[in-house]
Amino acid sequence: MASFLTALRRLYLSIYNWTIFIGWFQVLFLALKTLKESDHEHVYNAVEKPLLLAQSAAVLEILHGLVGLVRSPISSTLPQIGSRLYLTWGILWSFPEIRTHILVTSLVISWSITEIIRYSFFGMKEAFGFAPSWHLWLRYSTFLVLYPTGISSEVGLIYFALPYIKASNKYCIRMPNKWNFSFDYFYAAILTLGTYVPGSPHMYRYMLGQRKRALSKSKKE
Amino acid sequence: MMGECLRLSSMRIYAKLLKRMKVTVVSRSGREFIKGGLELHDLATVADLQEAIHKRTKKFYPSRQRLTLPVPSGSKVRPVVLSYKKSLKDYCDENQNNITVVFKDLGPQVSYRTLFFFEYLGPLILYPIFYYFPVYKFFGYEGERVIHPVQIYALYYWCFHYFKRIMETFFVHRFSHATSPLSNVFRNCAYYWTFGSYIAYYVNHPLYTPVSDLQMKIGFGFGLVCQLANFYCHIILKNLRSPDGSGGYQIPRGFLFNIVTCANYTTEIYQWLGFNIATQSVAGYVFLVVATSIMTNWALAKHRHLKKLFDGKEGRPKYPHRWVILPPFL
Repeated sequence: MASFLTALRRLYLSIYNWTIFIGWFQVLFLALKTLKESDHEHVYNAVEKPLLLAQSAAVLEILHGLVGLVRSPISSTLPQIGSRLYLTWGILWSFPEIRTHILVTSLVISWSITEIIRYSFFGMKEAFGFAPSWHLWLRYSTFLVLYPTGISSEVGLIYFALPYIKASNKYCIRMPNKWNFSFDYFYAAILTLGTYVPGSPHMYRYMLGQRKRALSKSKKE
Repeated sequence: MMGECLRLSSMRIYAKLLKRMKVTVVSRSGREFIKGGLELHDLATVADLQEAIHKRTKKFYPSRQRLTLPVPSGSKVRPVVLSYKKSLKDYCDENQNNITVVFKDLGPQVSYRTLFFFEYLGPLILYPIFYYFPVYKFFGYEGERVIHPVQIYALYYWCFHYFKRIMETFFVHRFSHATSPLSNVFRNCAYYWTFGSYIAYYVNHPLYTPVSDLQMKIGFGFGLVCQLANFYCHIILKNLRSPDGSGGYQIPRGFLFNIVTCANYTTEIYQWLGFNIATQSVAGYVFLVVATSIMTNWALAKHRHLKKLFDGKEGRPKYPHRWVILPPFL
C-alpha cells in the first residue's frame, strides 16, 4: 500500500512539474518571439494566458507543502508565491496601463528562465529519480543574476503602477461602514514596497545558504 | 561540651572556606573563555562565580551570563543551567574540587519592569493622541468631528487598561527572570505601539459608526468585570511566588484557576472581547485574534510544563484535570 502511494505521489508530482514547465516554456518562447517580431510593449499581451495559468497553479505548491507531499517549508514558499501572485494579478492584470512598460519584459524573462530550470529539475527527479549535476548547478546558480533582475523588475513595476492605482480607487474600502474598517490599495502597495527592503536580502541570503548546502552535498556524493 | 562542638564545627567551616576550588570557563565552541580559569572558595555560589566572571570580563554583567554544565558533543540532552542561588559544589562531581562551566552571552539585558513599562506606555499615550489632537486633518479629513459617547468610554476603558498594567508591573508582578534581552524592547514595543495606533485610528475616526447603546453597555460592562477578575488572578499568581523571586512552580489554586490553568490569560482575552463588542472595529478584532494566539501558545507551554512537573509520582501532587486557556474550546 505504501509503495503504491509513493508511486502515485511520484506520478502526480511528475505530471504537475512537467505541465507547469510547459507553461513557463511557452511564456519564454512567446516573450522572445514578440521581442523579435515587434517590441517590448506587446510582450504582456502575448504571454498573458500561459503566465496567468502557470503562475496561479503555483498555489498548489502551498497545498503540497501543507499536506506533506513535498518537503519545502511553507515559510519560504509563502512569501515567494505571495509576491508572484501580487505582481501577476494585483498589478499587471489589474492595471492595464502598466502592461506596456519595459520592466514587464525583464520580469517575465527572469521569472520564466528561473521556473523552466526549477520545474524541469523537479520533473526529472520525480519522474526519473535523478537530475544531472549541471542541472543542479543551474538551479542553484542562475538565481545569483535572476533574483536581482526579477526583484528589481517587481519593485519597479509596483512603483510605476502607483499613479494608476491611486487614480483608479480599485480594491478600496472606504468609511463609514458598520465594521469601522478601511483599506486603501495605494497605501498597501507602498507598504508592500517597504517589505522588499528586508525581504529581498533575506530571500537572497536564504538561496545562498541553499546553494551552499546543495552544491556541497552533491560534491560529497 | 556544647562549646567544644561549636568550636569544632566552626573550625570545619573555616577549613572549608580556606579550601579553594578551580572553575574553568569555556565558550560553547570549547575554547577557554577565561584564561587560566577562576579560583573561588569552596562554599562559593553560582552568583559568586557570576560576579567573578563580571569582574574579569567587565562587559558581561551577571544577568547577561548563561552558565551551563558541559554536555558531550552530539548529545541531544538539554544542558543543565546553573541556578544563581545554588552553591557550585552542588554541580561538581563527587569529591572533585574543580568544575567546568560553559558560558553563553545572552546579549544586553533590560529588567522586565523596564520592558513592560515601555511597551505599555506606548498605547497609553498614543491612543489619547488620536482622540484629543486633530490627527485626522493629516489624513485629509477636514472639518469638525462629532464625538460619540462610546468613543469617550472607549478612551477611558483603554487608558484604564494600560494604566492598570503598568501599576501591576511595578506593584504586583513577581518575575521569575529579572531581565529580558534588549532586542525584546524593540519587538514588543513595535507590537503594542503599532496595534495601539491601528485601533486608536479607527475608533476615534471622524467617520466612526457606533453600535447600539445596549451593545456598548454589554461590551464595556463585561469587559470591566473581566478586567477586575484579571486583576484578582494576578494577585493569586503573585502569592504563589516568594518575594525574592526564587521561581519554582506551584499549582495555582482558587478562583478561576480551579477550572483553567491560565485564568489570567482567559480574563485578558475576554476583556478585549468586551472592548470589541462595544467598539466594533476590524482593527480591534484583528488585535484580539493575534493576542489570543500568542497567549494560547504561552498557555499550552505552561500547562504542559505543569503537567510534566506535577506528575503524581514520588510524592509530588498530580496536576488536576483543567482547561488550558479558553473553556470550552481549549
